Amino acid sequence: MKGYCRYFGREATAQPLGFMTHFSILSLARNALSRHSGWQPTWRDAVPKDGYDVIIIGGGGHGLATAYYLAAVHGITNVAVLEKGWIGGGNAGRNTTIIRSNYLLPGNAPFYEWSMKLWEGLEQELNYNAMVSQRGVLNLVHSDAQRDAAARRGNGMRLHGVDAELLDVDGVRKLAPFLDFDQARFPIMGGLHQPRGGTARHDAVVWGFARGASDRGVDIVQNCEVRGFLRDATGTVVGVETSRGLIRAGKVGMAVAGNSSRIAALADLRLPIESHVLQAFVSEGLKPVIPGVITFGAGHFYISQSDKGGLVFGGDIDGYNSYAQRGNLPVVEDVCEGGMAVMPMIGRVRLLRSWGGIMDMSMDGSPIIDRTPIDGLYLNAGWCYGGFKATPASGRCFAHLLATDRAHETAAAYRLDRFRTGHLIDEKGQGAQPNLH
Amino acid sequence: MADLLVEQLSGFGLATIMARKGVSGMAIGMALGVEAPAQPAFCRGENNLALIGTGAGSWFAHTDMVSPAWHTALRDRLAELASVSDQSDGYMLIRLSGEDARTVLQRGAAIDFHPEVFAPGAAATTVIAHIGVVIWRRDDDARGRPKYEIATFRSYFDSFRRWLDHTAAAL
Amino acid sequence: MRIDCPYCGERDAQEFVYRGDASLMRPESEDGMADYVYLRDNLAGPMTEHWYHAQGCRTWIAVTRDTTTHAMLGAIFARDGVR
Ligand SMILES: Cc1cc2nc3c(=O)[nH]c(=O)nc-3n(C[C@H](O)[C@H](O)[C@H](O)COP(=O)(O)OP(=O)(O)OC[C@H]3O[C@@H](n4cnc5c(N)ncnc54)[C@H](O)[C@@H]3O)c2cc1C
Ligand SMILES: [Zn+2]
Repeated sequence: MKGYCRYFGREATAQPLGFMTHFSILSLARNALSRHSGWQPTWRDAVPKDGYDVIIIGGGGHGLATAYYLAAVHGITNVAVLEKGWIGGGNAGRNTTIIRSNYLLPGNAPFYEWSMKLWEGLEQELNYNAMVSQRGVLNLVHSDAQRDAAARRGNGMRLHGVDAELLDVDGVRKLAPFLDFDQARFPIMGGLHQPRGGTARHDAVVWGFARGASDRGVDIVQNCEVRGFLRDATGTVVGVETSRGLIRAGKVGMAVAGNSSRIAALADLRLPIESHVLQAFVSEGLKPVIPGVITFGAGHFYISQSDKGGLVFGGDIDGYNSYAQRGNLPVVEDVCEGGMAVMPMIGRVRLLRSWGGIMDMSMDGSPIIDRTPIDGLYLNAGWCYGGFKATPASGRCFAHLLATDRAHETAAAYRLDRFRTGHLIDEKGQGAQPNLH
Repeated sequence: MADLLVEQLSGFGLATIMARKGVSGMAIGMALGVEAPAQPAFCRGENNLALIGTGAGSWFAHTDMVSPAWHTALRDRLAELASVSDQSDGYMLIRLSGEDARTVLQRGAAIDFHPEVFAPGAAATTVIAHIGVVIWRRDDDARGRPKYEIATFRSYFDSFRRWLDHTAAAL
Repeated sequence: MRIDCPYCGERDAQEFVYRGDASLMRPESEDGMADYVYLRDNLAGPMTEHWYHAQGCRTWIAVTRDTTTHAMLGAIFARDGVR
C-alpha cells in the first residue's frame, strides 16, 4: 500500500510500528552527514482494519490530537483516524495560526487557557517542533467604549488566571510604532495585549500529533471518506461505511469541522451549525516588520508575520453558507481596507496567495464537545474560526469524553443541549445568527 | 481633455412613494398622470413630474423645479394609494454629462452602463464607493452626449463628492 | 458571486444582506421553537435562502444557490413564497 507523507514530500510505504525517527541533535547530525537522505516518514499511512475500539472521523488537528491523547493519556490505542483526503488538508492546514486565550466568559476562558498551557508544553511532549511562538496578541481599541470593553475582558481574563495588559497609546506605540495612530476615523487609543498569545506552525501541529498517535499504534487512514453509519437494532452506532469499506467501532467520534452537518445528517442528526467560508491571505516574504499578532478593533482584520516573512492575515467570514473552500472578492476588499486603515505601510506589499476554508459556525459562536442523542456517536464541532488554538485542549477533552463517557471539566459547558436549555456561551452577544459570530 | 460636466443640482423636489398593500403601479401612475414603471426606470410625464422605479412597489417622485406645495399635492393625489415622504432635503443630486460621464460611473458602480443596457430612461439603485446611490439616465444633451443624475443621501454627499473628484481627476 | 435580483437584475452579492435558510417555518407553539431557532439542515448543494437587497431595491428575495459551487440557480421575491 502506497501513501504520501507530506513532511518529507516523497512516497512512503507502510512500515511496521516504531520506525519513526525522533528528532534530536544527534539524529540531525547523523542525517546531515548522509545529506538528509536517511530520514524516515514521520508517521505510518495505515490500511484500515476490520474494526477498532474508537474511530475518529476527520484527520485535522482536532481528530489527530484526540487520537494522540486517547493513546497517550487513556491508553486506548486500538484507534483509527479516518480522513477523506490527506491529513491537515482541511482547516488545520488553512488557518492563520493564531493562538490566544483572551476569552471573557466562564465556559470558554478556562478551556482556552488550558489549551494555551498545553501549547506551552506541546513541543516537549511531542518531541516535535510545532514552532509555537508566544509573540503576543494585541487587540487595538479605537474608542472609549472599546477601551471599557477591553478593560472588562482583561479583568475577566486575569480573574481566570490568564495574562492580560491594558495598554495606553504609548504602550501600543512601543510594540508597533508603524500603526496609523491618528487615523481620522479610527484613531488608536490603546489595546489589550496578551503576551503569551502568538502563533504556531499549523502543519507541524498536524504532523506532530500524527506522529505521536501513530507511534502509539493509532492507524491514520487517508483517502478514506465516511459515507454512512453502521447501526445496530437499537440504533447504536457500531461502525462506519467508508470509501474503503465497512469498519466496525466501539465508539465513533466526529471531528470534521466544516463538514459536521453533513456527517451528522448521515445519522439523521441536525446540528446547531452553519458552514461558512473564511478566507486568508499571505503576502510575499518581507524582512521582519510585524512583531506579534495585531488585530484592528474597528473592522475585522488580524495580521501576523510568518517565520518565512510572509504577512499572514484575514478578516471576516464571507457571510453566506458555503462548502466551496473559496470566497469572493468583496471580503478581499474589506480585509485589505481594514489593513490599510490600521497599517497603511502594507499598501505596497504584494499578495501572494489567498484561499478559503469551511468553518463550522455554531449558533452561539462556541464549540460543542459532547455525546449525541445517538449511542456510540460523539461530537466535536462548532469551532467557528477559532479552533486552531483549541487543538490540544479539544483533543484532550474529546479523548476524555470518548474514554470515560463523561465531559472533561474544562469542556463541561460545551454541551449539545445548551441551545435548548438556554445555557449559551455567546462571547459576542450576537444571538443565533452564525454569520455574525 | 476629459469631456465631463459635473453639476450639483438645487431647486429639485424628491419624494419616496411606497404603494399600499395591493395597490398596483398602474393605479399610482393614473393618479399622478405619469407612468409608474414596474422596473428600475425613469419615466417623465406632464407637469415636470418623473417617477423613478426604486423597488417593487416603490418609486422616487422627482421634479426639476420644486414648489412649496409639491409634496403635499403629491400626498393628496396618492391618498389611500401610497405613503409619500418628502426627501427633497434628504438627498443631494448630481448631474454628470459629457462623453466621459459613463466612464466615471463605470469606475464606481458594478453594473453595466453600456448604452444598449443603460439607455436614456434607465435607472438603478446601487452603491458607489460603499455609498448608496440612485442613478438615472435622462435624454441625451443637444450634442448627443449622455446625461446621468445621481441621488445620494445628504450625509454621505461629501464622501461621494470625494470619490467623484478623485475618479474624474484620473480620467 | 452575483445575484439575479428579480427587480434590479444581476448584482454583486455585496449589495445584499444574508439571512440563511428560507425553508425554516416558525412553529405555531413553543414546541419546536428551540429547533426552529437553533437547528439547521446546513445543506451541501442547492439551497434556497433569504437575501435582502439592502443596497438596491430593499426587498427580501429567495435565492436558490449551490453551496458547494456558489452557482446561482434562480431568485424570486420572498413574498411570492418559497415553499
Ligand atoms: C482561513 C482560516 C483561518 C483560521 N484562522 C484561525 C486562527 O488564526 N486561529 C484559530 O484558532 N483558528 C483559526 N481557524 C479555525 C481552525 O482552523 C479550525 O477551527 C480548526 O482547524 C478545526 O479543526 P480541525 O483542525 O480538526 O479541522 P480540519 O482540519 O478541517 O479537519 C476536519 C477533517 O475532516 C475531514 N473530513 C470531512 N468529511 C469527512 C468524511 N466524510 N470522512 C472522513 N473525513 C472527513 C476533512 O477532510 C478534514 O481534513 C481558521 C480557519 C480558516 C479556514
Ligand atoms: Zn433588488
